[in-house]
Amino acid sequence: MTIDGTKIIHAVMEGSMIRESKGIIPLFGVYLSLFSVHYYNKLSFHFEKIMGKEREAEAQSLLIKAAQECGYATFHGIRNSWEWDELVTPMIEKREDQIQGFTAVAVAFGWGDLKVEELIPNEKLVIRVSDSYEANGYREQYGLSDSGKCYMLRGVTGAFMDLIYGEDYPDGCRGFLAEEPLCRAKGDPYCEFIARKSSHHPGVEKEG
Amino acid sequence: MAVQLDLENELARKGHRMILSGQPVTLHCHHYNINLQKTLEDILGEEGVLLLYRSVEEAIYGGFKPILKHYNQIKTLKSKLEMAAILYQNSGLGVIHFQDMGPEGGRIVSNASHHVTGWLAKHGRRKTPGCHFTRGWIAGALEAMFQYPIGHYQVKELECKMVRHGDCVFDATANGS
Repeated sequence: MTIDGTKIIHAVMEGSMIRESKGIIPLFGVYLSLFSVHYYNKLSFHFEKIMGKEREAEAQSLLIKAAQECGYATFHGIRNSWEWDELVTPMIEKREDQIQGFTAVAVAFGWGDLKVEELIPNEKLVIRVSDSYEANGYREQYGLSDSGKCYMLRGVTGAFMDLIYGEDYPDGCRGFLAEEPLCRAKGDPYCEFIARKSSHHPGVEKEG
Repeated sequence: MAVQLDLENELARKGHRMILSGQPVTLHCHHYNINLQKTLEDILGEEGVLLLYRSVEEAIYGGFKPILKHYNQIKTLKSKLEMAAILYQNSGLGVIHFQDMGPEGGRIVSNASHHVTGWLAKHGRRKTPGCHFTRGWIAGALEAMFQYPIGHYQVKELECKMVRHGDCVFDATANGS
């Protein structure tokens, strides 16, 4: 059975109408908030600008790391939630289907139109997004970029592989890292994220 | 008449995009929001805090103005403040109460918030107040409400649940007051 993303979107839209007495949205085992994409974009891209050219790589790495750790903890919570058990588990036939479930939840959260293009178990994940709010926001604000700008989606792509093929939670974060060779912010037709094993992965021998 | 935000109509989807009152929004969890805050504070210090504050202020300023325009039956200060508190709560950000507010500023109290819950869950008690997001949110909402430019209000946090005070207490002051 394939993962029915429409069902997941419906559940998220219903769930995001629910507030507990503290005004917090408890859904899929995590606390969610609903806020403008302009906020997230300004935060990321101004952080990068403040860090300047000399520390640009460090800024990007920190933003990707923040997202990957978030994706790792968030989707761990999500797949252990009663909503996942009730809604998604019945649609899962094999381990790899969980990735489809994760991307369907990410779409439901408004992160973009994520599609899994390729998955080689324990090796490689390719996710394509033609409408990322990060790439859109960058282009609207600054014009064309010379590098990929979707730091959140890049971190999250790595986290998806960590959760399926990494060490048991909480020890498997950043065993996979993703690149973004194509990005709409650079003028490419879509953004593409490719996660592969990193040097942190226990199955990868360290060089030198 | 009680102030209400018609969330079922205001929160919509356009394909994979999520829209709240005409503005593109996204759902993120406390892990991401707190990671971003911690990264900015750790790396940039006060400059990072200011970036977070200003980013929220600008975003809510742009988001709240069309809501006030759309719900044009909301005319009194009391009802506008009530709408702001409802928007904050409906966004899953927590609970805020405006007290003694006027164009010159006032006091705001929050007994629960997404960022307090998230920070305490991830990092425990802080030594200094940490609700920079809520400070920026309040400033931007007041500027939209009273039709002042961004930067008109300065919002300080006097007490904070992240440092284990009973409530988060904010003071909003208009420039020149």
